[in-house]
Amino acid sequence: MRCHTCRGPANVEIRRSRTAYCARCYPAWFRTQVQERIDHERMFRRDQAILVAVSGGKDSLALWHTLTELGYRADGMYIRLGIGDYSQRSQAKSEAFASERGLTLHQVDLKEGQGFAVPDLLDTRSGKPCAACGTVKRYHFNKMAADLGYEVVATGHNLDDEAATLFGNVMHWNVDYLGRQGPVLESTHPKLVRKVKPLYRLSERETAAYAIIERLDYILEECPMAKGAKSLAYKGMLNALEEEQPGAKYGFLVGFLKQGRHAVPGGDFDQATDLRECTRCGQPTTGELCAYCKMADRGRKKSASKAAKYAR
Amino acid sequence: MRVTILPDREVREVDARSVGELLKTLGLHRDAHLVVRGQDILTSDVSLSEGDQIEVWPVISGGRR
Repeated sequence: MRCHTCRGPANVEIRRSRTAYCARCYPAWFRTQVQERIDHERMFRRDQAILVAVSGGKDSLALWHTLTELGYRADGMYIRLGIGDYSQRSQAKSEAFASERGLTLHQVDLKEGQGFAVPDLLDTRSGKPCAACGTVKRYHFNKMAADLGYEVVATGHNLDDEAATLFGNVMHWNVDYLGRQGPVLESTHPKLVRKVKPLYRLSERETAAYAIIERLDYILEECPMAKGAKSLAYKGMLNALEEEQPGAKYGFLVGFLKQGRHAVPGGDFDQATDLRECTRCGQPTTGELCAYCKMADRGRKKSASKAAKYAR
Repeated sequence: MRVTILPDREVREVDARSVGELLKTLGLHRDAHLVVRGQDILTSDVSLSEGDQIEVWPVISGGRR
């Protein structure tokens, strides 16, 4: 295979567009794709400060690297979730990335600041904390951004993440979620910061290739709590389809965003519009007490009962 | 040839003439993995030889993000 740009031997094949790039030309292609999405979706401007949600994984570090290479003012934020050694390693990767490049990395420590950690939030039905972990991340990324005056939060969600989410929402006909899935979630409340996903049209493989070629030191292992998660099963199914039909994931997601989304009730609203402020923490919510505060109560209770057990 | 599968660094002896054939033999999806020789990522048509030291990198991450 030959590089689409320089005709030299290729390293990364993009099967959905029947092209390939060499290691020297690939980063420029990748960054052009990201820039094109930022501009097309009007995600943010060059004069705006961006807060990147950082996990130490390939997607968030590739996004942060790309945005700084493109000349954007992007700071990072990492949440110490308290998932044992995995969290310590991912924190170390995030801190090293920031310090080697002189970038600002804000951090929140769940256990120290909130009195619980993600392993205290296991769902009774699934036995997994993934849904609760998602709530924790969305809450703190939004709160940190709003408190520090960032106008936009950027996350490393890629094509595989978005296609798997769409697949799950279609499987269960979660119409409310379907209507809100998109690369830009507009602010609908002064304390609700705009969310954007600049990598949403780039596959997980393409993001990983960027991270490897740019020598980004990311955490390769999977979150131990995500083993057996539904999202992984959906990604496996979609990749089986992709093997036979290159471009299937892209067509599924982009086709939905172009044609399907607006046919779904609520599809014109990016984030909830009937918002008020949580009576305890003041963050935007549709109820009296926000989902995070309710969940944090359960987490603290669990954490306290664990501590009591070990004290015996 | 000797193939190391990340992240656990599981080592397998595999007989394959190309990158595409290697992934097929291992039962791995092309869109979920990258095949690396030395510092280079390889496309699926690249020929492999017996003495090659190959790494297979998974690219899929899960959970709620």
